[in-house]
This record gives sequence, structure tokens and C-alpha cells, in this order.
Amino acid sequence: MLQQPGRLSRISITRRLITTLTGMVVLFWLIAVGLAAYVMNHEFAEIFDGTLQETAERLMPLVLDDLAQRDPTSDPQALQAIQQGLNKEYLTYQVLDGSGKVIIHSQEAPTVPYDVPLKIGFHDTPKYRIYTESALNGTVFLHVADAFRNRREALREGTVALLWPLLLLIPASILLIQFIVGRSLAPIDRLRDEIGTKDSGNLAAVESDTLPRELRPIARSVNVLLGRLRAALEAEREFTANSAHELRTPIAGALAQTQRLIAELPEGPLTVRAGRIETALANLGRLAEKLLQLARAEAGIGTGDAPVDLVPIVDAVVGDYDRDSRTAGRVTRDYTPENHLARCVDIDAFAIVVRNLIENALIHGPSEGVVSIAIGSDFVSVVNGGKTVPPEDLAGLKRRFRRGETSAAGSGLGLAIADKIVVQMGGRLDLLSPASGEEQGFEARIVLAPQTTA
Amino acid sequence: MRILLVEDDDTLGSAVRDHIAATVHAVDWVKNLTDAANAARSVHYGLILLDLQLPDGVGIDFLKALRRNAKETPVIILTARDQISDRIEGLNSGADDYLVKPFDLGELSARLMAVARRYSGSPQPMLKIGDLEVDQTQRRLMVAGKDVILTGREWAVLDLLVARPGAMVSKDQVEEALYAFGSEIESNTVEVYVSRLRKKIGKDRIRTARGVGYSLGER
Repeated sequence: MLQQPGRLSRISITRRLITTLTGMVVLFWLIAVGLAAYVMNHEFAEIFDGTLQETAERLMPLVLDDLAQRDPTSDPQALQAIQQGLNKEYLTYQVLDGSGKVIIHSQEAPTVPYDVPLKIGFHDTPKYRIYTESALNGTVFLHVADAFRNRREALREGTVALLWPLLLLIPASILLIQFIVGRSLAPIDRLRDEIGTKDSGNLAAVESDTLPRELRPIARSVNVLLGRLRAALEAEREFTANSAHELRTPIAGALAQTQRLIAELPEGPLTVRAGRIETALANLGRLAEKLLQLARAEAGIGTGDAPVDLVPIVDAVVGDYDRDSRTAGRVTRDYTPENHLARCVDIDAFAIVVRNLIENALIHGPSEGVVSIAIGSDFVSVVNGGKTVPPEDLAGLKRRFRRGETSAAGSGLGLAIADKIVVQMGGRLDLLSPASGEEQGFEARIVLAPQTTA
Repeated sequence: MRILLVEDDDTLGSAVRDHIAATVHAVDWVKNLTDAANAARSVHYGLILLDLQLPDGVGIDFLKALRRNAKETPVIILTARDQISDRIEGLNSGADDYLVKPFDLGELSARLMAVARRYSGSPQPMLKIGDLEVDQTQRRLMVAGKDVILTGREWAVLDLLVARPGAMVSKDQVEEALYAFGSEIESNTVEVYVSRLRKKIGKDRIRTARGVGYSLGER
């Protein structure tokens, strides 16, 4: 399924922001947890060491008291009452004589001495942190041991507790970023929609005053670009208009001189030859006109800035045929001046369309036949009589240099030009044969899109 | 009819001038707007053929100035500008017709006479005054069903008289129409051509009002 480009880019930006920002939050949080674990480890060690030392110092008098009362030959585990008083889960101890022999130990302490020197102070084994205390001039030593496992457990539980808020922080961060991005991108959507309405018919500057400060340079750049585009289109249209003048005048001069030559020559072969030149020049004039119209159609002249009533334009074109002695009375109006058909189209382009359709009808309809023009709420139709055009030929008539089954001298460009311009106007050119409501004939119908009120 | 042709292209201008002269009208050909303004000020033309893009300006400005000065001379625009907006502007500025180049000289004659007829109040191509039948487009004259051949100067006088049958045409207007044919106008030239015309169409058709001019009527 195709996705709208705007929607796609929005998803892409939002996703990128969510991934990046959430990732950054998680990373910084983890760094913070790491630092906290480091600090906790250090502080826990100080606290545990302090506790260990204090326990040893307090335990020593009890041990001495116990040693004074007990039988020296008794079992080394006789200090049961003291053992129960100590936290057997965390701390163990050994009482040794001056030779390093264990004379008393706690229940979970090993019977062999800890592998540490008999010297007051802290010592480490792979599993224990031990504080050694001495009394009676170095004849009695006390090792109080704290397993490293206990310290690691405390550190782990503290660190894990710091990670719990992340479970809430990650979804909250995603929702918050989505909300903020949605609000922040709304002006970009508006700007994009406004730029999207620009085409050859609407090159007005985009509104930049209401945009956020960050987007104003974009709007200004777009307006500069639109200005250049307007100038380029105007220059192109001006060029084709000037080309028309530069081309038409010499053809008109050559044709008029040839017609004078024919008038002044005595009847004979020379007048026949001059007549051929006259016909060729007339055809050249028509072809030049069509090619200029095609060039203008290619320049995208169809749309206009403001709605105009097209009925007077149709009327003006029909008026040209009324004044022409060769076609006077052959083009009839099946509408009244009260008819209205307003659209945002270029009037010159629309006149080119109507002129081509009437010219096509006059050339390909019956000689001396009538061409009737009708105007509805959304269409202008040009109808001529004559035999029906086969359906398989109708579609091809809009192609350039494509003529129907006729010997008439058309350029083969009229319907192609009309079709191209009508499409630019947002409408369509329907070719019908037989004409609607008739049994024969041909109808070219310009169907225009409804007028937008925006 | 005396016609002012304003066209800067030599090839086209000379052919149009020769064609108008051949259809037995008098024609003055100028190639810029300054000369056109001078000519229009000094001569009462029956019609002006006006190109739009001229070396010293735009024909539309000349046309607007002409209408501002209350000159009702019919004007046909001859132009290479084919856009409907140009055409509407031309007609709204006071032009009577608009012919896009390249055009057929026969069509030019037809438009020229159609506009002249509109101004005379008689839109029919064949003008009938009693048994006098005048086809100005075809330059054909019949009296009582018989063809009568007129010279260019005689047509110039007749065009003036048939423009408004029954209305007075001054001797100066007739003189002006004859002057365009280039020959010297002597004191009795007008009388000479009026007299020749009377002989061909009937003596009592052209009435003389002493000190005022001439008028055309039924026999």
C-alpha cells in the first residue's frame, strides 16, 4: 500500500526522535546507576568495615571472659551463647591462641584458621573480609569475618532498585516525545500543504508571518523560488506571444502579395501556380498558428488566479465566426447571456480550446452545416452534424497529427491542443459520436471540475 | 471611401494598399502612429485599418485617443495578436472589427464593407435605392437591372452618397474623397465627377443644394 509522503516523513522523524531521545535517556540513566553503584560499593565497604571492627572490639572482652571461665581442654565450640548473640548469617569469628591454634570459633566458621596473619587490622581472603583483634599481649587473637557475598548482595539489590524507574521512564519518554513532535510538526504540515497547492495557476507567495521563526527562512526561500518561477513562466508566455507576431506578419505579407499577384496576372498557367503558392501559404499560416498554440499549451497556460465567467469568452469566440464572411451564420448559440460558468482558468487558453473545437467542427462537419454551442453548469459542448465516427477512431482523435477518416484540410493538432489545455484546467475533453441526443454527428464536450470555494 | 492604412510592414502594407485601391477605394498608407495621428486630424476618413504593434507605440493607444476626441471613424484592427484578451481589449477600446494576420484579402474587403455598412445604418450587402442596386463589397452597380461600370473616383463619390441616403454630403467631403486618388483637385473637379456619375445613374438621382452639398434620392 502506498503511503503519503508527508505521513511517511512524519513517522520517520518521530521514530528517529523517539529512538534517539529514549536511547539517550536510558544511556544517561545507566551511567548514573553505574556511578551510584560505584559510590555505594565504596560507602558500603566503609560501613561494613566499621561494623566489622566494632564487632571485633566488642566481642573481644566477651571472649576473654569466656576463656577465663572455661576448661582449657573443652571443645572449641563452647561459646554457644555468644554465637547465638551474633548475626550468624553475616559474621563469623575464630579465637586463636598465640601459636595460631583455633580455640573458639562460631558455628559457621571453619575449624582451620583463616589464611591471614595474626596481626591487628583488616585482611582479605578470596571469600572474606576479616578484622583481627589481639589481647593479653598477643596471646589471644580474634578474627571476625564478613563474607564478600553479603556485600555484593547489598550492592546488587541497591543497584537493581535504581533500575526500576526505567520501566516507567521509557514509555513516558516515548509518549511525551510523540506529543511534542506532533505539536512541533503541525506548522510544517501547514507549510507543506500550502506549498502543495502551488501550480502554474497559483504561484502566489506562501504566508510566512504566522509560521514559527525556524520555518520562516524556508517560506522566504519558497517565495523567492515562486517569484523566479512566475517570471520564467511569464517570459515563456511572452516569448510565444512575440513569436506569434514575428511569424504571422511575414506570412501575412507573403499571402497578401500572392493574392495581389493572382488578381493582377492574366488568366493562365501562372495564376494556377500562384494559386498553389497561395494555398501553401494559407496552410503554412494555419500550421504556424497551431504550433504556437501547442507551444503555449506545453508552457502550462491553462489555469488562472481568479474565477472568470466563461460565457462571454465563448461569446467573443463565436462573434469572430459571425463576423467572418466565410463562416457567418454557421455557428449558433444554444445558450443565453444569462448562463454563467465561472472557473479559475486562463481566458486566452480557454478561448484557444473553444476556437479549436469550433474549427474542428466546421472543417469536419458537413460543408455549410451548422455548429451549435451549448453551455451547462459544468460543461461547454460543440456539436456538428455529419456521419458517426466509429468508437475505435474516437479515442485516437486526441493524438497529435491524427486525423479522422476525412479529406478535410485540418492540421491534426486542434483536438490534441484542446485536450492538453482542458486537462491543465482540471477538466476533461469528452468526444462523443453520435452527439448526445442525436442519431449521428459529433460532439466535443469540455467538462470542467466544480468551482472550489477556497 | 477614403481609407487610412496604418501598417509598418512593407510587404503586407503594399499588398493591402494595392488591394484596397483595386477595389476602387482611395487609400493613404502610413507606417507609424505619429503620421497616423496627423493624417486622422487633417482628413475625414471613411475607415481606418490599424496595426497594433508599430515602431512608435501601440495601436490601441491611438484608437483610444481617437475615441476620446469623439472621432467616430470606423476602425478595423489588423494584428498578429490572436489572444482573446487582446481582441476584447481592442473591441472595448472602440474598434469595430478585429482581423488576425494572416488574413485573406477578400475577407478584408468583406469586413471593410460590413463595417462601413453598419455605420451607414444599412447592414445589407446589397443596397437598394429605388431601381438603383449597389453592392459595395463586390463593387457592382446596377441601374434598372443593368450593370453600370464606374471608375474609382466615381465610386468614391457614390460611396459617400450611399453611406447615408438622403443626407447631405458637403463639397469638401467629396473633394477629400477624390483627393486621395492623387490627382490635382481643381475648382470644378467635384462638379465634373458628380456630373459623370449623374450621367451613369440618372440625372435626377443626385440632388444639389447650393452652398450645402449633394444628396442621393430615388428618381
